[in-house]
Amino acid sequence: MNNAFKKMSTPYLVWLYILALFPVAIMFILIFMNNEGMSLDEASFTFSNFAALGEPGNIVAFINSFKFAIISTIVIIIIGYFVAYRVFRSKFNNKFFVLTILILPMWSNLLLRIEALGNIMEPNNILVDLLSKINIDLYINIKGTELAIIIGFVFTYLPFMILPIYTALEKIDPSLEEAALDLGIPGIKKFWKVIIPMSYKGIITGSILVFLPILSGFAIPKILGKGNIISLGEVIERSFMNMSYNIGSLFAIIILILILGSIIIINKIDKEGELLL
Amino acid sequence: MMKYEKATLQDYGFKDYSQLKKIYSVLNKIMLTIVILMLYLSVIIIAIQSFNSSTDLSVFNKFTFKWYTEIFSNKMLTNAISNTFVVSIFATLLATILGTLIAIGINSLPQKKKQRMILLNNIPLLNADIVTGISLMFVFSLLMPIFPYIFGFPTLLMAHLFFTLPYVILSVLPKLKEMDPNIMDAATDLGVRPYRALTKVIVPAVKSGIFAGMLLAFTMSFDDFVISYFTTGNDFDNLSIWIYSSIGRKSLTPSVYAFSTLLTAFTLISLTIYNSFNKNKVKK
Repeated sequence: MNNAFKKMSTPYLVWLYILALFPVAIMFILIFMNNEGMSLDEASFTFSNFAALGEPGNIVAFINSFKFAIISTIVIIIIGYFVAYRVFRSKFNNKFFVLTILILPMWSNLLLRIEALGNIMEPNNILVDLLSKINIDLYINIKGTELAIIIGFVFTYLPFMILPIYTALEKIDPSLEEAALDLGIPGIKKFWKVIIPMSYKGIITGSILVFLPILSGFAIPKILGKGNIISLGEVIERSFMNMSYNIGSLFAIIILILILGSIIIINKIDKEGELLL
Repeated sequence: MMKYEKATLQDYGFKDYSQLKKIYSVLNKIMLTIVILMLYLSVIIIAIQSFNSSTDLSVFNKFTFKWYTEIFSNKMLTNAISNTFVVSIFATLLATILGTLIAIGINSLPQKKKQRMILLNNIPLLNADIVTGISLMFVFSLLMPIFPYIFGFPTLLMAHLFFTLPYVILSVLPKLKEMDPNIMDAATDLGVRPYRALTKVIVPAVKSGIFAGMLLAFTMSFDDFVISYFTTGNDFDNLSIWIYSSIGRKSLTPSVYAFSTLLTAFTLISLTIYNSFNKNKVKK
Protein backbone atom coordinates (compact mmCIF):
# COMPACT_ATOMS: atom_id res chain seq x y z
CA MET A 1 0.00 0.00 0.00
CA ASN A 2 2.49 2.55 1.13
CA ASN A 3 6.17 2.11 1.70
CA ALA A 4 6.09 4.44 4.67
CA PHE A 5 4.30 1.80 6.72
CA LYS A 6 6.56 -1.13 5.93
CA LYS A 7 8.80 -0.52 8.90
CA MET A 8 5.94 -0.64 11.38
CA SER A 9 5.95 -4.42 11.48
CA THR A 10 9.69 -4.75 12.11
CA PRO A 11 9.56 -4.23 15.90
CA TYR A 12 6.91 -6.91 16.08
CA LEU A 13 9.21 -9.32 14.25
CA VAL A 14 11.89 -8.67 16.87
CA TRP A 15 9.32 -9.05 19.67
CA LEU A 16 8.19 -12.41 18.27
CA TYR A 17 11.76 -13.61 17.90
CA ILE A 18 12.57 -12.73 21.49
CA LEU A 19 9.40 -13.93 23.15
CA ALA A 20 8.29 -16.79 20.91
CA LEU A 21 11.32 -18.32 19.21
CA PHE A 22 14.23 -17.63 21.57
CA PRO A 23 12.63 -19.48 24.56
CA VAL A 24 12.12 -22.51 22.35
CA ALA A 25 15.86 -22.54 21.76
CA ILE A 26 16.42 -22.36 25.53
CA MET A 27 14.05 -25.26 26.06
CA PHE A 28 15.82 -27.25 23.41
CA ILE A 29 19.16 -26.73 25.15
CA LEU A 30 17.67 -27.53 28.56
CA ILE A 31 16.61 -30.97 27.33
CA PHE A 32 20.26 -31.97 27.05
CA MET A 33 21.33 -30.38 30.31
CA ASN A 34 21.42 -31.38 33.90
CA ASN A 35 20.87 -28.33 36.08
CA GLU A 36 18.53 -26.96 38.64
CA GLY A 37 16.05 -24.28 37.61
CA MET A 38 17.66 -21.68 35.39
CA SER A 39 21.02 -21.63 37.16
CA LEU A 40 23.89 -22.97 35.12
CA ASP A 41 26.16 -23.88 38.05
CA GLU A 42 27.30 -27.48 37.81
CA ALA A 43 25.39 -27.86 34.58
CA SER A 44 26.49 -30.69 32.36
CA PHE A 45 25.57 -32.23 29.08
CA THR A 46 23.44 -35.35 29.39
CA PHE A 47 20.92 -37.58 27.68
CA SER A 48 19.50 -38.80 30.99
CA ASN A 49 16.41 -36.60 30.73
CA PHE A 50 15.02 -38.80 28.00
CA ALA A 51 14.67 -41.57 30.57
CA ALA A 52 11.66 -39.63 31.88
CA LEU A 53 9.78 -40.61 28.72
CA GLY A 54 9.86 -44.23 29.81
CA GLU A 55 8.60 -43.69 33.35
CA PRO A 56 5.27 -45.49 33.87
CA GLY A 57 3.59 -42.44 35.41
CA ASN A 58 4.51 -40.28 32.44
CA ILE A 59 3.40 -42.89 29.93
CA VAL A 60 0.02 -43.04 31.65
CA ALA A 61 -0.17 -39.24 31.52
CA PHE A 62 0.58 -39.34 27.79
CA ILE A 63 -2.04 -41.96 27.06
CA ASN A 64 -4.61 -40.18 29.23
CA SER A 65 -4.09 -36.80 27.58
CA PHE A 66 -4.28 -38.21 24.07
CA LYS A 67 -7.37 -40.19 24.96
CA PHE A 68 -9.08 -37.11 26.39
CA ALA A 69 -8.06 -34.98 23.43
CA ILE A 70 -9.19 -37.45 20.76
CA ILE A 71 -12.52 -38.40 22.35
CA SER A 72 -13.41 -34.83 23.29
CA THR A 73 -12.48 -33.47 19.87
CA ILE A 74 -14.67 -36.02 18.09
CA VAL A 75 -17.63 -35.31 20.38
CA ILE A 76 -17.08 -31.57 19.97
CA ILE A 77 -16.93 -31.83 16.16
CA ILE A 78 -20.26 -33.67 16.07
CA ILE A 79 -22.08 -31.35 18.47
CA GLY A 80 -20.34 -28.23 17.16
CA TYR A 81 -21.17 -29.01 13.55
CA PHE A 82 -24.76 -29.65 14.46
CA VAL A 83 -25.10 -26.33 16.29
CA ALA A 84 -23.25 -24.32 13.63
CA TYR A 85 -25.36 -25.89 10.89
CA ARG A 86 -28.59 -25.26 12.77
CA VAL A 87 -27.73 -21.61 13.34
CA PHE A 88 -26.64 -21.25 9.70
CA ARG A 89 -29.94 -22.76 8.47
CA SER A 90 -32.13 -20.96 10.99
CA LYS A 91 -34.32 -18.06 10.00
CA PHE A 92 -33.18 -15.72 12.75
CA ASN A 93 -32.69 -12.18 11.55
CA ASN A 94 -29.69 -11.60 13.70
CA LYS A 95 -27.46 -14.65 13.60
CA PHE A 96 -24.62 -12.72 15.16
CA PHE A 97 -26.74 -12.33 18.30
CA VAL A 98 -27.46 -16.07 18.44
CA LEU A 99 -23.77 -16.87 18.09
CA THR A 100 -22.91 -14.42 20.84
CA ILE A 101 -25.46 -16.07 23.10
CA LEU A 102 -23.72 -19.37 22.41
CA ILE A 103 -20.28 -18.07 23.36
CA LEU A 104 -21.45 -15.88 26.25
CA PRO A 105 -20.67 -18.52 28.94
CA MET A 106 -17.02 -18.15 27.93
CA TRP A 107 -17.04 -14.74 29.55
CA SER A 108 -17.33 -16.07 33.06
CA ASN A 109 -14.17 -17.40 34.54
CA LEU A 110 -13.10 -20.79 33.20
CA LEU A 111 -11.90 -22.17 36.53
CA LEU A 112 -15.07 -21.08 38.27
CA ARG A 113 -17.20 -22.79 35.65
CA ILE A 114 -15.18 -25.99 35.99
CA GLU A 115 -15.43 -25.87 39.76
CA ALA A 116 -19.20 -25.40 39.52
CA LEU A 117 -19.42 -28.28 37.07
CA GLY A 118 -17.31 -30.38 39.44
CA ASN A 119 -19.63 -29.58 42.33
CA ILE A 120 -22.66 -31.01 40.57
CA MET A 121 -20.74 -34.16 39.69
CA GLU A 122 -20.55 -35.13 43.37
CA PRO A 123 -23.26 -37.37 44.86
CA ASN A 124 -24.52 -34.70 47.26
CA ASN A 125 -24.87 -31.51 45.34
CA ILE A 126 -26.94 -28.41 45.13
CA LEU A 127 -28.80 -29.50 41.99
CA VAL A 128 -29.83 -32.83 43.56
CA ASP A 129 -30.89 -30.94 46.67
CA LEU A 130 -33.02 -28.49 44.70
CA LEU A 131 -34.55 -31.22 42.54
CA SER A 132 -35.38 -33.36 45.56
CA LYS A 133 -37.49 -30.48 46.86
CA ILE A 134 -39.75 -30.97 43.87
CA ASN A 135 -39.57 -34.75 44.26
CA ILE A 136 -37.13 -35.60 41.53
CA ASP A 137 -34.43 -37.93 42.72
CA LEU A 138 -31.14 -37.92 40.94
CA TYR A 139 -27.91 -39.68 41.65
CA ILE A 140 -24.67 -38.58 40.04
CA ASN A 141 -21.24 -39.56 41.17
CA ILE A 142 -18.73 -39.10 38.41
CA LYS A 143 -16.24 -36.60 39.81
CA GLY A 144 -12.80 -38.10 39.70
CA THR A 145 -13.49 -40.24 36.65
CA GLU A 146 -12.33 -39.91 33.06
CA LEU A 147 -15.91 -39.27 31.99
CA ALA A 148 -16.01 -36.18 34.22
CA ILE A 149 -12.86 -34.79 32.61
CA ILE A 150 -14.14 -35.41 29.09
CA ILE A 151 -17.46 -33.74 29.94
CA GLY A 152 -15.53 -30.78 31.34
CA PHE A 153 -13.48 -30.45 28.16
CA VAL A 154 -16.50 -30.79 25.85
CA PHE A 155 -18.51 -28.17 27.75
CA THR A 156 -15.58 -25.76 27.83
CA TYR A 157 -14.26 -25.99 24.29
CA LEU A 158 -17.47 -26.43 22.29
CA PRO A 159 -17.73 -22.70 21.37
CA PHE A 160 -14.26 -22.83 19.82
CA MET A 161 -15.59 -25.33 17.29
CA ILE A 162 -18.92 -23.65 16.56
CA LEU A 163 -17.41 -20.36 15.37
CA PRO A 164 -14.92 -21.60 12.73
CA ILE A 165 -17.44 -24.06 11.30
CA TYR A 166 -20.06 -21.33 11.13
CA THR A 167 -17.61 -19.01 9.35
CA ALA A 168 -16.82 -21.75 6.83
CA LEU A 169 -20.52 -22.46 6.24
CA GLU A 170 -21.22 -18.77 5.66
CA LYS A 171 -18.61 -18.70 2.91
CA ILE A 172 -20.29 -21.46 0.86
CA ASP A 173 -21.75 -20.05 -2.33
CA PRO A 174 -25.53 -20.65 -2.12
CA SER A 175 -25.68 -21.30 -5.87
CA LEU A 176 -23.69 -24.49 -5.31
CA GLU A 177 -26.52 -25.86 -3.25
CA GLU A 178 -29.04 -24.83 -5.88
CA ALA A 179 -26.91 -26.59 -8.47
CA ALA A 180 -26.94 -29.75 -6.36
CA LEU A 181 -30.72 -29.58 -6.08
CA ASP A 182 -31.08 -28.92 -9.82
CA LEU A 183 -29.01 -32.00 -10.53
CA GLY A 184 -31.42 -34.00 -8.41
CA ILE A 185 -29.31 -34.76 -5.36
CA PRO A 186 -31.55 -35.36 -2.35
CA GLY A 187 -31.10 -33.53 0.96
CA ILE A 188 -28.93 -35.89 2.95
CA LYS A 189 -26.66 -36.74 0.07
CA LYS A 190 -26.30 -33.04 -0.72
CA PHE A 191 -25.19 -32.49 2.86
CA TRP A 192 -22.48 -35.14 2.63
CA LYS A 193 -21.30 -34.34 -0.90
CA VAL A 194 -21.56 -30.56 -0.96
CA ILE A 195 -21.85 -28.96 2.47
CA ILE A 196 -19.36 -31.08 4.44
CA PRO A 197 -16.54 -30.93 1.84
CA MET A 198 -17.05 -27.17 1.49
CA SER A 199 -16.76 -26.61 5.23
CA TYR A 200 -13.84 -28.94 5.98
CA LYS A 201 -11.54 -25.96 6.57
CA GLY A 202 -13.71 -24.89 9.46
CA ILE A 203 -13.62 -28.39 10.92
CA ILE A 204 -9.82 -28.56 10.68
CA THR A 205 -9.32 -25.10 12.19
CA GLY A 206 -11.78 -25.86 14.97
CA SER A 207 -10.17 -29.22 15.67
CA ILE A 208 -6.75 -27.64 16.04
CA LEU A 209 -8.15 -24.89 18.28
CA VAL A 210 -9.76 -27.55 20.46
CA PHE A 211 -7.33 -30.49 20.35
CA LEU A 212 -4.19 -28.65 21.45
CA PRO A 213 -5.54 -26.94 24.56
CA ILE A 214 -7.14 -30.20 25.68
CA LEU A 215 -3.91 -32.09 25.15
CA SER A 216 -1.90 -29.64 27.22
CA GLY A 217 -4.55 -28.45 29.68
CA PHE A 218 -3.82 -29.02 33.33
CA ALA A 219 -6.44 -27.15 35.35
CA ILE A 220 -9.49 -29.08 34.11
CA PRO A 221 -8.07 -32.60 34.68
CA LYS A 222 -6.73 -31.50 38.04
CA ILE A 223 -10.04 -30.12 39.31
CA LEU A 224 -12.38 -32.70 37.79
CA GLY A 225 -10.05 -35.65 38.25
CA LYS A 226 -9.70 -34.98 41.99
CA GLY A 227 -6.01 -35.82 41.64
CA ASN A 228 -6.77 -39.41 40.63
CA ILE A 229 -6.07 -38.97 36.95
CA ILE A 230 -2.79 -37.58 35.74
CA SER A 231 -2.42 -35.64 32.49
CA LEU A 232 0.39 -34.34 30.31
CA GLY A 233 -0.23 -30.74 31.35
CA GLU A 234 0.04 -31.69 35.00
CA VAL A 235 3.35 -33.47 34.43
CA ILE A 236 4.75 -30.31 32.82
CA GLU A 237 3.37 -28.04 35.53
CA ARG A 238 4.70 -30.25 38.32
CA SER A 239 8.16 -30.46 36.73
CA PHE A 240 8.40 -26.69 36.59
CA MET A 241 7.09 -26.24 40.12
CA ASN A 242 9.71 -28.73 41.36
CA MET A 243 12.43 -26.81 39.53
CA SER A 244 13.22 -29.74 37.24
CA TYR A 245 13.12 -27.55 34.15
CA ASN A 246 14.89 -30.12 32.01
CA ILE A 247 12.14 -32.70 32.12
CA GLY A 248 9.44 -30.02 31.89
CA SER A 249 11.13 -28.66 28.77
CA LEU A 250 11.26 -32.12 27.25
CA PHE A 251 7.50 -32.52 27.48
CA ALA A 252 6.91 -28.94 26.39
CA ILE A 253 9.01 -29.57 23.27
CA ILE A 254 6.90 -32.63 22.46
CA ILE A 255 3.76 -30.50 22.60
CA LEU A 256 5.54 -27.83 20.54
CA ILE A 257 6.29 -30.34 17.78
CA LEU A 258 2.59 -31.15 17.56
CA ILE A 259 1.78 -27.44 17.48
CA LEU A 260 4.31 -26.86 14.73
CA GLY A 261 2.59 -29.54 12.70
CA SER A 262 -0.75 -27.84 13.13
CA ILE A 263 0.69 -24.41 12.27
CA ILE A 264 1.93 -25.91 9.01
CA ILE A 265 -1.52 -27.37 8.31
CA ILE A 266 -3.21 -24.05 9.10
CA ASN A 267 -0.77 -22.21 6.88
CA LYS A 268 -1.45 -24.63 4.01
CA ILE A 269 -5.20 -24.23 4.06
CA ASP A 270 -5.27 -20.61 5.09
CA LYS A 271 -2.60 -18.47 3.48
CA GLU A 272 -4.02 -15.09 4.37
CA GLY A 273 -4.78 -15.75 8.03
CA GLU A 274 -8.52 -15.47 7.66
CA LEU A 275 -9.80 -18.65 9.20
CA LEU A 276 -8.50 -18.52 12.71
CA LEU A 277 -10.85 -15.78 13.78
CA MET B 1 -62.85 -51.80 -21.96
CA MET B 2 -60.43 -52.77 -19.20
CA LYS B 3 -60.40 -50.74 -16.06
CA TYR B 4 -56.96 -49.81 -14.90
CA GLU B 5 -56.22 -48.69 -11.39
CA LYS B 6 -55.37 -45.07 -11.14
CA ALA B 7 -51.65 -44.65 -10.57
CA THR B 8 -50.76 -42.80 -7.41
CA LEU B 9 -47.84 -40.50 -6.90
CA GLN B 10 -46.20 -43.27 -4.86
CA ASP B 11 -46.21 -45.54 -7.86
CA TYR B 12 -44.05 -43.04 -9.67
CA GLY B 13 -41.49 -43.22 -6.90
CA PHE B 14 -42.63 -40.23 -4.88
CA LYS B 15 -41.95 -40.68 -1.20
CA ASP B 16 -43.81 -38.62 1.31
CA TYR B 17 -41.24 -37.21 3.71
CA SER B 18 -43.41 -34.53 5.27
CA GLN B 19 -44.13 -36.63 8.37
CA LEU B 20 -40.46 -37.47 8.77
CA LYS B 21 -39.54 -33.84 8.30
CA LYS B 22 -41.75 -32.79 11.19
CA ILE B 23 -40.15 -35.31 13.55
CA TYR B 24 -36.75 -34.26 12.29
CA SER B 25 -37.36 -30.58 13.01
CA VAL B 26 -38.74 -31.29 16.49
CA LEU B 27 -35.73 -33.49 17.21
CA ASN B 28 -33.48 -30.70 16.02
CA LYS B 29 -35.07 -28.20 18.36
CA ILE B 30 -34.75 -30.55 21.33
CA MET B 31 -31.10 -31.19 20.56
CA LEU B 32 -30.37 -27.49 20.21
CA THR B 33 -32.02 -26.78 23.56
CA ILE B 34 -29.95 -29.50 25.19
CA VAL B 35 -26.74 -28.04 23.77
CA ILE B 36 -27.60 -24.53 24.95
CA LEU B 37 -28.47 -25.89 28.41
CA MET B 38 -25.17 -27.73 28.37
CA LEU B 39 -23.26 -24.55 27.63
CA TYR B 40 -25.15 -22.63 30.29
CA LEU B 41 -25.22 -25.38 32.93
CA SER B 42 -22.15 -24.16 34.78
CA VAL B 43 -23.27 -20.52 34.60
CA ILE B 44 -26.64 -21.51 36.07
CA ILE B 45 -24.99 -23.48 38.88
CA ILE B 46 -22.75 -20.49 39.64
CA ALA B 47 -25.85 -18.29 39.84
CA ILE B 48 -27.66 -20.73 42.14
CA GLN B 49 -24.67 -20.94 44.44
CA SER B 50 -24.37 -17.17 44.60
CA PHE B 51 -27.87 -16.95 46.11
CA ASN B 52 -27.35 -19.76 48.60
CA SER B 53 -27.05 -18.62 52.21
CA SER B 54 -25.06 -21.70 53.22
CA THR B 55 -21.35 -21.95 52.41
CA ASP B 56 -21.89 -25.68 52.08
CA LEU B 57 -22.07 -26.37 48.36
CA SER B 58 -24.25 -29.47 48.67
CA VAL B 59 -27.44 -27.98 50.13
CA PHE B 60 -29.51 -24.99 49.18
CA ASN B 61 -30.41 -23.30 52.44
CA LYS B 62 -32.09 -19.95 51.94
CA PHE B 63 -32.19 -17.33 49.25
CA THR B 64 -29.86 -14.47 50.10
CA PHE B 65 -28.07 -11.47 48.65
CA LYS B 66 -25.39 -11.38 51.32
CA TRP B 67 -22.59 -12.68 49.10
CA TYR B 68 -23.21 -9.79 46.74
CA THR B 69 -22.60 -7.24 49.46
CA GLU B 70 -19.59 -9.18 50.68
CA ILE B 71 -17.80 -8.89 47.34
CA PHE B 72 -16.58 -5.46 48.39
CA SER B 73 -15.69 -6.35 51.97
CA ASN B 74 -13.47 -9.26 50.99
CA LYS B 75 -10.11 -7.52 50.52
CA MET B 76 -8.34 -10.40 48.80
CA LEU B 77 -11.15 -10.76 46.29
CA THR B 78 -11.47 -7.06 45.47
CA ASN B 79 -7.73 -6.92 45.09
CA ALA B 80 -7.74 -9.82 42.63
CA ILE B 81 -10.64 -8.30 40.71
CA SER B 82 -9.02 -4.89 40.42
CA ASN B 83 -5.72 -6.47 39.36
CA THR B 84 -7.53 -8.39 36.64
CA PHE B 85 -9.25 -5.25 35.37
CA VAL B 86 -6.08 -3.16 35.42
CA VAL B 87 -4.02 -5.75 33.54
CA SER B 88 -6.76 -6.52 31.00
CA ILE B 89 -7.58 -2.89 30.27
CA PHE B 90 -3.96 -1.84 29.88
CA ALA B 91 -3.10 -4.90 27.80
CA THR B 92 -6.17 -4.44 25.60
CA LEU B 93 -5.49 -0.74 24.98
CA LEU B 94 -1.85 -1.35 24.14
CA ALA B 95 -2.65 -4.39 21.99
CA THR B 96 -5.34 -2.49 20.09
CA ILE B 97 -3.13 0.48 19.25
CA LEU B 98 0.05 -1.45 18.54
CA GLY B 99 -1.79 -4.30 16.84
CA THR B 100 -3.47 -1.94 14.39
CA LEU B 101 -0.17 -0.28 13.51
CA ILE B 102 1.54 -3.66 13.11
CA ALA B 103 -1.30 -4.97 10.94
CA ILE B 104 -0.98 -1.93 8.66
CA GLY B 105 2.75 -2.57 8.51
CA ILE B 106 2.26 -6.25 7.68
CA ASN B 107 -0.31 -5.39 5.04
CA SER B 108 2.11 -3.15 3.18
CA LEU B 109 4.82 -5.81 3.05
CA PRO B 110 5.49 -7.77 -0.16
CA GLN B 111 3.56 -11.05 -0.43
CA LYS B 112 6.34 -13.41 0.68
CA LYS B 113 7.30 -11.44 3.78
CA LYS B 114 3.67 -10.92 4.60
CA GLN B 115 3.01 -14.66 4.66
CA ARG B 116 6.02 -15.22 6.87
CA MET B 117 4.79 -12.62 9.33
CA ILE B 118 1.34 -14.19 9.41
CA LEU B 119 2.94 -17.56 10.08
CA LEU B 120 4.95 -16.13 12.98
CA ASN B 121 1.92 -14.27 14.24
CA ASN B 122 0.05 -17.58 14.47
CA ILE B 123 2.58 -18.98 16.95
CA PRO B 124 1.29 -17.25 20.10
CA LEU B 125 -2.25 -17.94 18.95
CA LEU B 126 -1.89 -21.67 18.41
CA ASN B 127 0.77 -22.41 20.97
CA ALA B 128 -0.38 -24.30 24.03
CA ASP B 129 -0.93 -21.91 26.93
CA ILE B 130 1.40 -23.89 29.13
CA VAL B 131 4.25 -23.66 26.59
CA THR B 132 3.68 -19.93 26.09
CA GLY B 133 3.65 -19.41 29.85
CA ILE B 134 6.89 -21.29 30.36
CA SER B 135 8.57 -19.58 27.40
CA LEU B 136 7.71 -16.14 28.74
CA MET B 137 8.84 -17.16 32.21
CA PHE B 138 12.23 -18.12 30.75
CA VAL B 139 12.70 -14.77 29.04
CA PHE B 140 11.51 -12.80 32.08
CA SER B 141 13.74 -14.72 34.45
CA LEU B 142 16.70 -13.90 32.19
CA LEU B 143 15.79 -10.23 32.70
CA MET B 144 15.84 -10.70 36.47
CA PRO B 145 19.52 -9.73 36.98
CA ILE B 146 18.82 -6.33 35.34
CA PHE B 147 15.35 -5.71 36.81
CA PRO B 148 15.12 -7.69 40.07
CA TYR B 149 11.48 -6.85 40.78
CA ILE B 150 10.16 -7.50 37.31
CA PHE B 151 7.87 -10.42 38.24
CA GLY B 152 4.42 -9.08 39.01
CA PHE B 153 2.54 -6.37 37.16
CA PRO B 154 5.16 -5.68 34.43
CA THR B 155 5.60 -9.32 33.44
CA LEU B 156 1.88 -9.99 33.56
CA LEU B 157 1.21 -6.98 31.33
CA MET B 158 3.87 -8.03 28.84
CA ALA B 159 2.58 -11.61 28.79
CA HIS B 160 -0.97 -10.45 28.18
CA LEU B 161 0.21 -8.08 25.46
CA PHE B 162 2.08 -10.99 23.90
CA PHE B 163 -0.96 -13.22 23.50
CA THR B 164 -3.55 -10.51 22.75
CA LEU B 165 -1.61 -8.79 19.92
CA PRO B 166 -2.15 -11.65 17.42
CA TYR B 167 -5.90 -11.45 17.92
CA VAL B 168 -5.99 -7.75 17.08
CA ILE B 169 -3.69 -8.22 14.09
CA LEU B 170 -5.75 -11.08 12.70
CA SER B 171 -8.96 -9.08 13.09
CA VAL B 172 -7.58 -5.98 11.37
CA LEU B 173 -5.74 -7.67 8.48
CA PRO B 174 -8.80 -8.90 6.52
CA LYS B 175 -10.38 -5.43 6.75
CA LEU B 176 -7.20 -3.88 5.40
CA LYS B 177 -7.28 -6.30 2.50
CA GLU B 178 -10.87 -5.33 1.70
CA MET B 179 -9.97 -1.65 1.72
CA ASP B 180 -9.68 0.05 -1.63
CA PRO B 181 -5.95 0.80 -2.07
CA ASN B 182 -6.84 3.83 -4.19
CA ILE B 183 -8.17 5.67 -1.14
CA MET B 184 -4.69 5.80 0.28
CA ASP B 185 -3.19 6.90 -3.06
CA ALA B 186 -5.84 9.57 -3.37
CA ALA B 187 -5.01 10.86 0.08
CA THR B 188 -1.30 11.05 -0.67
CA ASP B 189 -2.01 12.65 -4.05
CA LEU B 190 -3.94 15.32 -2.27
CA GLY B 191 -0.86 16.02 -0.24
CA VAL B 192 -1.71 14.33 3.03
CA ARG B 193 1.32 13.12 4.89
CA PRO B 194 1.44 9.31 5.36
CA TYR B 195 1.05 9.38 9.13
CA ARG B 196 -1.84 11.78 8.96
CA ALA B 197 -3.42 9.58 6.30
CA LEU B 198 -3.04 6.72 8.73
CA THR B 199 -5.28 8.30 11.32
CA LYS B 200 -7.63 10.06 8.92
CA VAL B 201 -8.03 7.44 6.20
CA ILE B 202 -6.94 3.94 7.16
CA VAL B 203 -8.08 3.75 10.78
CA PRO B 204 -11.65 4.88 10.02
CA ALA B 205 -11.82 2.38 7.17
CA VAL B 206 -10.87 -0.60 9.32
CA LYS B 207 -12.74 0.54 12.45
CA SER B 208 -14.91 -2.58 12.69
CA GLY B 209 -11.89 -4.89 12.59
CA ILE B 210 -10.14 -2.88 15.29
CA PHE B 211 -13.24 -3.04 17.47
CA ALA B 212 -13.63 -6.81 17.00
CA GLY B 213 -9.97 -7.33 17.81
CA MET B 214 -10.26 -5.19 20.92
CA LEU B 215 -13.22 -7.19 22.18
CA LEU B 216 -11.42 -10.48 21.54
CA ALA B 217 -8.26 -9.25 23.21
CA PHE B 218 -10.15 -8.16 26.32
CA THR B 219 -12.03 -11.46 26.54
CA MET B 220 -8.85 -13.49 26.24
CA SER B 221 -6.94 -11.34 28.68
CA PHE B 222 -9.71 -11.20 31.27
CA ASP B 223 -10.19 -14.95 31.43
CA ASP B 224 -6.59 -16.08 31.13
CA PHE B 225 -5.25 -18.43 33.74
CA VAL B 226 -2.37 -20.61 32.58
CA ILE B 227 -0.10 -17.93 31.09
CA SER B 228 -0.72 -15.59 34.02
CA TYR B 229 -0.01 -18.44 36.44
CA PHE B 230 3.50 -18.86 35.08
CA THR B 231 4.38 -15.22 34.54
CA THR B 232 3.15 -13.38 37.60
CA GLY B 233 5.04 -12.73 40.82
CA ASN B 234 4.19 -13.86 44.33
CA ASP B 235 2.23 -10.82 45.40
CA PHE B 236 0.27 -10.06 42.25
CA ASP B 237 -2.71 -12.35 41.71
CA ASN B 238 -5.34 -11.95 39.07
CA LEU B 239 -8.81 -13.42 39.54
CA SER B 240 -8.04 -16.74 37.85
CA ILE B 241 -4.91 -17.36 39.90
CA TRP B 242 -6.72 -16.39 43.08
CA ILE B 243 -9.60 -18.76 42.29
CA TYR B 244 -7.17 -21.56 41.48
CA SER B 245 -5.34 -21.26 44.77
CA SER B 246 -8.66 -20.92 46.64
CA ILE B 247 -9.91 -24.13 45.06
CA GLY B 248 -6.67 -25.82 46.12
CA ARG B 249 -7.21 -24.66 49.73
CA LYS B 250 -10.92 -25.49 49.49
CA SER B 251 -11.68 -21.97 50.70
CA LEU B 252 -13.58 -20.53 47.74
CA THR B 253 -15.95 -17.86 49.02
CA PRO B 254 -19.41 -17.70 47.39
CA SER B 255 -18.72 -14.00 46.76
CA VAL B 256 -16.73 -15.08 43.69
CA TYR B 257 -19.86 -16.76 42.38
CA ALA B 258 -21.75 -13.55 43.08
CA PHE B 259 -19.19 -11.50 41.17
CA SER B 260 -19.26 -13.90 38.24
CA THR B 261 -23.06 -13.84 38.14
CA LEU B 262 -23.05 -10.03 38.16
CA LEU B 263 -20.61 -10.01 35.27
CA THR B 264 -22.62 -12.50 33.23
CA ALA B 265 -25.84 -10.58 33.88
CA PHE B 266 -24.12 -7.34 32.89
CA THR B 267 -22.81 -8.74 29.59
CA LEU B 268 -26.12 -10.40 28.80
CA ILE B 269 -28.09 -7.21 29.43
CA SER B 270 -25.72 -4.91 27.56
CA LEU B 271 -25.67 -7.33 24.66
CA THR B 272 -29.45 -7.41 24.50
CA ILE B 273 -29.66 -3.63 24.67
CA TYR B 274 -27.02 -3.27 21.98
CA ASN B 275 -28.87 -5.78 19.84
CA SER B 276 -32.29 -4.16 20.14
CA PHE B 277 -30.75 -0.75 19.56
CA ASN B 278 -29.13 -2.01 16.37
CA LYS B 279 -32.34 -3.61 15.17
CA ASN B 280 -34.17 -0.29 15.46
CA LYS B 281 -31.49 1.40 13.47
CA VAL B 282 -31.80 -1.11 10.65
CA LYS B 283 -35.57 -0.73 10.52
CA LYS B 284 -35.42 3.02 10.19
